[in-house]
Amino acid sequence: MTPFNRRKDGSSFRDWARVAVQGALDDAGLEAADIDALIVASESDFFTLQLNPAALLADECGLIGVAAKRVEGGGASGHVAVHAGVAEVASSMARRVLVLGVEPSASHLKGADVGALYSLSFDAWTDGMTGIESTSLYALSAQAFMARTGASADDFAAIAVRNRTNAKANPNAHLPLDISVEDVAASPVVASPYRRLDCSPLSDGAAAIILARADDLPARTQDRVRFRAVVSAVDTVRLGERRDPGFFEGKQRAAQRAYSYAGISATDIGLAEVYDSYSGAQLQALEALGLGHGLTLAAERDGVFAANGALPVNLSGGLLGQGAPVGATGVAQVLAAALQLEGRYFGLQAQNVPRFALVDTHGGIATLNAISILEAP
Amino acid sequence: MKYQMNLDYSIPPGDLAPYFEALQDGKALASECNGCGNVAFPARMQCGACCNSDIKWKPLNGTARVLFRTDGGSGSFALVKFDGADTHCTVGLINPERNTTFGKLAAPQGDAPGLWLALAEEKLGERR
Ligand SMILES: [Zn+2]
Repeated sequence: MTPFNRRKDGSSFRDWARVAVQGALDDAGLEAADIDALIVASESDFFTLQLNPAALLADECGLIGVAAKRVEGGGASGHVAVHAGVAEVASSMARRVLVLGVEPSASHLKGADVGALYSLSFDAWTDGMTGIESTSLYALSAQAFMARTGASADDFAAIAVRNRTNAKANPNAHLPLDISVEDVAASPVVASPYRRLDCSPLSDGAAAIILARADDLPARTQDRVRFRAVVSAVDTVRLGERRDPGFFEGKQRAAQRAYSYAGISATDIGLAEVYDSYSGAQLQALEALGLGHGLTLAAERDGVFAANGALPVNLSGGLLGQGAPVGATGVAQVLAAALQLEGRYFGLQAQNVPRFALVDTHGGIATLNAISILEAP
Repeated sequence: MKYQMNLDYSIPPGDLAPYFEALQDGKALASECNGCGNVAFPARMQCGACCNSDIKWKPLNGTARVLFRTDGGSGSFALVKFDGADTHCTVGLINPERNTTFGKLAAPQGDAPGLWLALAEEKLGERR
């Protein structure tokens, strides 16, 4: 993967794609000619200003003659692309699939324009065209969560701090910050209760991984993580139609199916990369994923999800710390969890390598939920 | 490189046309399921509760109660429940300086669609 940040060096998303693809090929011990399918994740043509990006990027990256497609699922685009790649390998449609997530979410457009486009990832005809942007919808959902659970802005701020602290060990992170809960509370209000430091940044960057059966990889790279479950599930698009607007029910549905497919339970998960587009959304996600075992807020306050806790969450820094170039986000989350299980993560490595890790990504407001469960080699 | 593109969309609302036309007049037209009776606002052409597509229109009086509201740089928005609807609804607040929890649907500004609520001084209908 490339660093995630706001590019100021004049480099282009085509450059980042080439760097990420070459990094994945080198890591797998493969050549471009060994790849027979490319799946590109990119949320919106409005960011890249490039329709048909899969063909363009196959050409750009020297993947001559591959099958190429672009996959999109809002904020979950990268993770949904990984799922599509797993399906191609599992069904023997392809032997070696390169999944490339890329997005110029920061440098191409002004922040307000990106925000206006993001608001179209909810119901464009109701929320989007009323001008209700992402932070406000997440804020309303967070308030419902707070009212039900007793979670406070301080709980959210602790997550905002922790993910930025985790990011300090990650050389690719956009926001490795030394901040305190007081700094979060002093940052400007974006949409109450969310303040600037509760929000993930708009980032540029790319990430790539290669999916294959072990037999189709060189001997030295065959000992890699395995996918035990790839599951996605949707919730109602409009927050107002959910039984509890503060509960991520679609995510819960996806998680329950994922545990069932993997033949494990939430208690078997030893590490997670969770979709923290906002600080409170991380807590809402952990609740829906069942990782707090019914006592999410207590587990959060007890340090269970801290770097040295029983179930470290977002050691990469998450979206809050590592950053969020949308198409690349889910690919980078899967990459981080995979490298953790292989004991060779480039950032903050888990103190004890667990057997199972969970990766969680969503589009909308936990509307399209993608979950993978990975098993250590 | 600099590149600018202005896009001017005309989007047919299809079967939801009556709902959007009412909205432009500041009127709340909900959908009611003939199967389970669920009343949805915003309207939808297939019931969100039982998936039935046998739907009829049901005018609401447009009054709503605020459940949660958020204020920030891009405006003030709320999750509200319109009287007579079984679903909740996200709206923009046109007079956020008023800190009450009741309001009435307001027509959107200009041609754009949108769901807007004008907050009332006190609960509508209680002023007698
Ligand atoms: Zn019904």
